[in-house]
Amino acid sequence: MPRRDDLQRIMILGSGPIRIGQGAEFDFSGSQACRALRADGFEVILVNSNPATIQNDPEMADCIYIEPLLPDTVRRILEIERPDALLAGMGGQTALNIASALSHDGTLDELEVELIGCDLVAIDSAEDRDLFKKVCESIDLPVPRALACDSIESVLAAAEEIGDFPLLVRPAFTLGGLGGGTAWNTHELVEIASQGILYSQIGQVLIEESILGWQEHEYEVMRDAADNCIIVCTMENIDPMGVHTGESVVVAPQQTLSDRDHQMLRDAALKLIRRLDIKGGCNVQFAVEQSTGEFAVIEVNPRVSRSSALASKATGYPIARIAALIAVGYTLDELPNPITGEGTTAAFEPTLDYCVVKIPRWPFDKFRTADRRIGTSMKSTGEVMAIGRTFEEAFRKAWASLEYGCPHPRPLTLGDTSEGEGMGARAHTSLPDDILTEWLAVPTDRRMGALMEAFRRGWTVEKVREITKITRWFLHKFERMAKMELEVVAAGKGGLLPAEISADDMSRWKSAGFTDANIADALAGFQPEGYHRLPDERGEAEVMRCRHQHRIHPVYRMVDSCAAEFAAVTPYYYATYEPGAPVGIDHVPHARRQSADGEAARRLVVIGSGPIRIGQGIEFDYGCVHAVQAIREAGQEAIIINNNPETVSTDFDTSDRLYFEPLTLESVCEVLLRETADGILLQFGGQTAINLALPLDARLAHLSELGLELKIEGTSADAVDEASDRERFEEFCKRVGLRMPRGQTGRTPQEVRKAVLDIGYPVLVRPSYVLGGRGMEILTDDAQLDSYMEEAYLEPDKPLLIDEYLRNAIELDVDAVCDGEEVLIGAIMEHIEEAGIHSGDSTCFIPPQHVGQFIQSEVRDWTERIGVGLGIKGCFNIQFAICEDTLYVLEVNPRGSRTFPFVAKSTGIPLARIAARVAIGARLADLDIPEATTGLVCVKAPVFPFLKLRGLDPAPGPEMKSTGEVMGSAPDAAQAYLKARLATEIPVPTSGGVYLTVKDGDKQQLAAIASQLLELGFNLHATPGTAHALREHGLEVEIAYRIAEKQHPDALDLMREGRIQLVVNTPSRSGGAVRDGNMMRRLAVELNIPFVTTMSGARMEVEAIGAAQKGTPEPQRLQVSYL
Amino acid sequence: MTRAACARAPRAGWTASSLERIIINGSQGRSEGAKVRAARGFSPGSGQRGVSNAHSGADAADLLLTSAAPPSEAASGAGILLLADGSRYSGNLFGADVAGEGELVFTTGMTGFQESLTDPSFAGQVLTFTWPLLGNYGVAAGISESASVWPRGVVCREWTDHPDHRHSIGSVHDFLLAHDIPGITTVDTRSVTLRVREHGTLLCVFGPVEQETALRSRLERMSAPDLDDLVAEVSRDQAVLLNEGALGADGEPLPRIAALDCGIKYNILRELCKRFEVLWAPPDIGWDELTDAWRIDALFCSNGPGDPAHSGQAKSARKTLAVALECDMPTMGICLGHQLLGLANGLETYKLRYGHRGANQPVVDLRTGKVDITSQNHGFAVCPRDEPPLAAHPDWESEGPPTALFDAATEVRFVNANDRTVEGLDVIGKEAFSVQYHPEASPGPHDAAPLFERFEKMVENHLAGALPLNLREVT
Repeated sequence: MPRRDDLQRIMILGSGPIRIGQGAEFDFSGSQACRALRADGFEVILVNSNPATIQNDPEMADCIYIEPLLPDTVRRILEIERPDALLAGMGGQTALNIASALSHDGTLDELEVELIGCDLVAIDSAEDRDLFKKVCESIDLPVPRALACDSIESVLAAAEEIGDFPLLVRPAFTLGGLGGGTAWNTHELVEIASQGILYSQIGQVLIEESILGWQEHEYEVMRDAADNCIIVCTMENIDPMGVHTGESVVVAPQQTLSDRDHQMLRDAALKLIRRLDIKGGCNVQFAVEQSTGEFAVIEVNPRVSRSSALASKATGYPIARIAALIAVGYTLDELPNPITGEGTTAAFEPTLDYCVVKIPRWPFDKFRTADRRIGTSMKSTGEVMAIGRTFEEAFRKAWASLEYGCPHPRPLTLGDTSEGEGMGARAHTSLPDDILTEWLAVPTDRRMGALMEAFRRGWTVEKVREITKITRWFLHKFERMAKMELEVVAAGKGGLLPAEISADDMSRWKSAGFTDANIADALAGFQPEGYHRLPDERGEAEVMRCRHQHRIHPVYRMVDSCAAEFAAVTPYYYATYEPGAPVGIDHVPHARRQSADGEAARRLVVIGSGPIRIGQGIEFDYGCVHAVQAIREAGQEAIIINNNPETVSTDFDTSDRLYFEPLTLESVCEVLLRETADGILLQFGGQTAINLALPLDARLAHLSELGLELKIEGTSADAVDEASDRERFEEFCKRVGLRMPRGQTGRTPQEVRKAVLDIGYPVLVRPSYVLGGRGMEILTDDAQLDSYMEEAYLEPDKPLLIDEYLRNAIELDVDAVCDGEEVLIGAIMEHIEEAGIHSGDSTCFIPPQHVGQFIQSEVRDWTERIGVGLGIKGCFNIQFAICEDTLYVLEVNPRGSRTFPFVAKSTGIPLARIAARVAIGARLADLDIPEATTGLVCVKAPVFPFLKLRGLDPAPGPEMKSTGEVMGSAPDAAQAYLKARLATEIPVPTSGGVYLTVKDGDKQQLAAIASQLLELGFNLHATPGTAHALREHGLEVEIAYRIAEKQHPDALDLMREGRIQLVVNTPSRSGGAVRDGNMMRRLAVELNIPFVTTMSGARMEVEAIGAAQKGTPEPQRLQVSYL
Repeated sequence: MTRAACARAPRAGWTASSLERIIINGSQGRSEGAKVRAARGFSPGSGQRGVSNAHSGADAADLLLTSAAPPSEAASGAGILLLADGSRYSGNLFGADVAGEGELVFTTGMTGFQESLTDPSFAGQVLTFTWPLLGNYGVAAGISESASVWPRGVVCREWTDHPDHRHSIGSVHDFLLAHDIPGITTVDTRSVTLRVREHGTLLCVFGPVEQETALRSRLERMSAPDLDDLVAEVSRDQAVLLNEGALGADGEPLPRIAALDCGIKYNILRELCKRFEVLWAPPDIGWDELTDAWRIDALFCSNGPGDPAHSGQAKSARKTLAVALECDMPTMGICLGHQLLGLANGLETYKLRYGHRGANQPVVDLRTGKVDITSQNHGFAVCPRDEPPLAAHPDWESEGPPTALFDAATEVRFVNANDRTVEGLDVIGKEAFSVQYHPEASPGPHDAAPLFERFEKMVENHLAGALPLNLREVT
């Protein structure tokens, strides 16, 4: 079928902020769709509220709206733009829900907008659990027995009818399985089902018979309007049914189904996509009872999804691009196969000659108090993928990509029972068997490590199978991995040193996926102090040296979707150690491209940012993509290394060559050797990449022996160290005359206590070299210090930083670029929240709203002095605080920051791209830098995962908690803030009740806010203390009991009764109020009631309410351009 | 693992009691109702309506259910694979302790190794699996495609000594050993595949590393297996009715078809038995015997190994096809059968550079534009009339145009969506067609399965309500 020439303008909806359950995969799919449609001559209008995506970069679409993804806003944009069609399948559940709302209310018909790429009947029949069941039954596909319910009464009746517990609760129309779960008794059933009904867009849950323990398999299907169907990829979950597929460790392709089993499921998947009449991509999940061969359809996602992003990266087949082209009429056989190029078509099924393993990345290393159990709703923030020729190799590479602090599985100790960091003395005691059994039985992030441990202890496959229900094939693989590890440990016990490893052993260990670090660690017998503290002759570097002497290097294999049957054109590779004779470095076969000036292009490697996690989100992927673009614009070859399957940076046509590899020193070095790279850029991949600076610098001499003359492009490793090392930076500030809060470094508990004594409470303590303020706390007395020290993780190379805490300071962020001589300031951002709340969690403004010109020019001056003084070449970010009109510098990050994309989209200055040009040698004076756009106020607001993570206090603090952000812009601050707030998808109330409870220090300021709220027509409720303070100002307020008083009505009652539309609660650090506040905020999260935890936040909220009462703010096209 | 496993594994499955142990081990901890299927043999007619004495033959997996000792010792230790272009790969030996030799080909299917190993079309070849983890789910009883294993050797990256599937009765190693076929593992199969892609199909040998010199001279002496009458090696020599007296769903007798066995896959016979009374016939049975003695209503010509233009038994089948067309008998061919039908009509065949082997080949129906994903396994192809071969790699090797036996006009109905090679022919004005790919799948997708229905309808139309020939009064 030919292209739809009747369509000209197409609107694409993005998925909004990065959240648990909706990650960067939709930036990837949306970007592919934008590119594909524009390349084919369509005009594209893109709507997305997330400033950090590539898809809403000015060059990606013909016009862009960074506006809230809400039906009202999208309706208005449709009215303004009048597109011919709406493509909603690229923006996840968020976009589908909007499309569904606009279709059901008649907007699409009225505006004559055609919904393409997915149709509502299909969405409804896939998402409405009851309808879906009927669809399956109509084509004789088995589904688990289930009943749809819309009330607790019907839930209980359904439980009665289905029978035995456990029962599965599946809410209809939610994101990442939100609100679902497995109930083992009536009490749990009621609890889970009532939440499920609440979160479901249509108030419906399905009560389903449990098929816990069955295998879970996925099929990624494509279909076109001519009814051509293909399976792009099959996937098998290691975790049996009961764990959400997004939370499961997944292998592609499936491993344990026979051809007959596979064809049976393939037929079923095709039957389903045909029955649902889906045109485009879709994902079908099956449960298989391995011992009988029975299967059941679990669900269908009638759109591209996280799984399809994974399938795209696992096979090389660009599902989103092809789905977008199908949506405009093409059939699969009309489209050339983008991997193998002309002469082959997109109508084929990829075949793999490697094994892919995906492991989710959970935030429990940061959220120690959160409930680690994983089940039918998602908790992971991101994922990593790895490719190897065997399962073992792929699994170990995936583990090395996770960045939890240890790149390989180690024997488990009591130290692991805390937050996953070595815990001193406890690391000497092996994990007791009963805890190990529990870690195997109850799925958590620890399960894979527990599997390794069980086999290390000689447990049998049958015993582990009994506990875990994991398919034996996988267990045998884990058993084999453990056996080989024991073999290495035994060799070490026998006195083998890294330098003495034979070529034969080395080759065998490497092709089983062991990293150099793992070999060193195992030979040393897994010392409790960790693998990175080994003496030189036993260390990782020595293993690499020995390996290189044996000429053992990985070979690089192309991800070509056809197992080498056809010559492919995708420059997409993975490394593997093939057994057999060592062949030395597997150099890139082709010659360097000629650059414009006739010289050979330089090969420049950009280090990606790895899995999305708290503190390191999609912003860093954005930075990497921009760096690649800048390198290519400069005529050089851009090579990227990354391991995150959700991202644009790992799309095979983003760079000249993509290596899907762990971001460990070892993997990076091998790619550098293969490429004979000229330079490496470490400043765009967040902390992951910048942390490589010093170790890589130390390894340069060795690489040079192998003929690699590599330069760390941009800021030198030494400058990185000077900026990041607390003491050196203090020296620097003294030298150039900059003020810092008083601070000290403590390496031992004694040093820490002395520092606190010197500085005086309150103090801010945090470990050095960490991401997203992990372990950062504000301490106000000795009791808090004592409890902090109990958990603290102190090591000579990991000291604690203790700083004077500036009370009520305004915090500023500055993003800038320096070429060594000159500094370009992208923007000065003012945070709403005072210093002390992590900058990643604060709401910030461009331009600053409360900072005078004098201080602003001081900020500029200091920024220039820091950039030039440190010798920054490339990007950097500085955090300042203003306390009582005095400027302090808090910290400097010698790398791109998470606000770079926000700055670019607010000012039109593509900072990351400019920084990359500067880092590879250009001078700012020689670059065309656009004038900053002015005239609009731009606001960035964070989005939190509180709903998904129970046990986490829903209040921002010094430790970062947000997963993503949204942006709003408007001519005035209140409107801009309102847009950003709306974009967080938490409602902005325009009437009703407000609950106020603030700590004593804030009571004075509260009066003005309270009186404004009264003027806006709200009624007020408060705890006795707060109410008393307000009544003194003559304000009318109702008193509610404090929760701890256990009398009614208390705040929780009022909230449940629907009488509270906003909570203002500044957390108190003492007594019962801590618990009260926590419970109240928790309930607010669950009831979707907005709450603010700072006075400045409350003031902005009131302004937003005022703006909201005047009506929905008018959407505006993004006005910036990078040209 | 390989060495240790090879040394340990060999006799695990050779007695009935140890077999039982394997099966029980394989299903420990599973539900009581789990049924271990260990059906032997091949008897597609049994249980069919109207059939009282269904023919039964052997299934290749039967050997894993017997207590007979394997013909050779198990191979183990370091091995080498030598290719005719001079390249050399190291690996570890498994399967039977005999040397492997043949024409090196690769298949890209990710599942279905047992079906591939038992597909007679692989006769004369050494089969490389591009999928690196061979045999994860083991060998099952009753699903083989013939009574034997046909490749002369297997090359893989890794094989599984702990297959995990409810139907598994042994590992790929057990299976090869029982059939006296050698294997070589821990080989960089991707590199082997690239070599075949670049140089075309190559002759190869493999065996113990100590015997490298002997292996090398063996390789030098080796001739292309295509020169042998491979069809004669793999086909039946007696005609037999598989499901005599079979009745359709309506209770009416099914029409009788002769399936010329050039190396037929069991699943084709299973598919045919659902629709016809099937005469499983040798390729050189001859037209007169088919019509006079067996009174068939339709003719089918199967897949098989080697060069379609070979002057051995393939030629006899070709002649029979030509007569069938001339006599207006409904005729269908698959794979080699398709090539023979093309030759019978005066079209040429040629050898593809490295063939199509896998389960993901897209085929376009030029009449409807519809694409099917198909299972394929062929090294030769049909050249459309008056055109050079459409192959992407036209390494044109042909015996020259054979004499057209029957010169009906043909229409290229199906082509490969990738390289546009001929995938299917309709004979104009006749109830006859052929396809290069495998609608019977096994292994592979079922997209093309409706082709059997298409043929069933053709035969139905041809008979136009009359009784099958063998049930009519002889006049």
